[in-house]
Amino acid sequence: MDNDSPTSGDAEIVEQVVAGDVHAFEHLLRKYQNHVMILLKKHLPYDHIEETAQDVFIRAYRSLQTFRGESSFKQWLSTIAVRTCYDYWRKHYKSRELPMSSLTENHLVWLEEAVSAQSSQSFHEQSLQKEAREILDWALDRLSAADRMVLELVYLEGYSQKEAAGLLGWSIAKVKVRSFRARKKLHKLLSKQYQKEGGTA
Amino acid sequence: MNPPKTEHEVLQALLREAHRQKENVEVGDQWQQEVMRRVRELGALQPTPSFSEMLEQLVWRLVPVTCLLILGLTVLFAVSDFTSGYDVFQLLMNGNGTEELTFALFAGL
Repeated sequence: MDNDSPTSGDAEIVEQVVAGDVHAFEHLLRKYQNHVMILLKKHLPYDHIEETAQDVFIRAYRSLQTFRGESSFKQWLSTIAVRTCYDYWRKHYKSRELPMSSLTENHLVWLEEAVSAQSSQSFHEQSLQKEAREILDWALDRLSAADRMVLELVYLEGYSQKEAAGLLGWSIAKVKVRSFRARKKLHKLLSKQYQKEGGTA
Repeated sequence: MNPPKTEHEVLQALLREAHRQKENVEVGDQWQQEVMRRVRELGALQPTPSFSEMLEQLVWRLVPVTCLLILGLTVLFAVSDFTSGYDVFQLLMNGNGTEELTFALFAGL
């Protein structure tokens, strides 16, 4: 895979681009397109991935002179990608109306079964991933942009708080507090739903 | 045997899996060309200005404001009548009353 190749040549390519060789940027684009795409697919709605991917690389190009080589280019680019996703959600949350969609009967049944299964392994095999994704999107849509980003990075993707802080440009303390609160909110949202389902069943 | 998991742990594992599945979404492959088109449109990167260049830019940006300020102050000085320090001194030395002095200071006479 492209993004597994060594990053030793990146600094030289960056130098070439900064020196005025616009076409050299295509090497960086080809090398890291998959990496950026995977990041964006996890954080954005399907119909905004390509547009945001363009924005990420344009932002990277514009700020290429600020790349000092203190971290790897891949890490630097990941930071830009994550912050672009965060910007997307901030804009989206500002302009959106209150989320009105609610969970369907199927979702509630899924939740009830999921939490009652003691081993997730058996449930994984029979679970409907579509329902799981929809429930996750439903819950994330009810959090703030900051809560959403930190929850996705720390709780769902397993980044350490330090790594998440680096990606978002926040302090570690802020990530700690945010991730704790966001996790609580998520559990509260979901437990309300499956308790409601349990009560009506 | 593993200890039974809590509701939250089970849910977290399932949500993590659902989140991971998002990677499998297929997207088009035309966007890279669009990136390169926009990059070419932007052209070569301009070198980062040095501190002295930035200072120079700042000074030039402030020039119109400074000019306007000078012009405004000149007009203000021209239309105002001032009592010079020398006149005040003269009034004091001549031993005139304080009423006259106050009047002279405030009315500019």
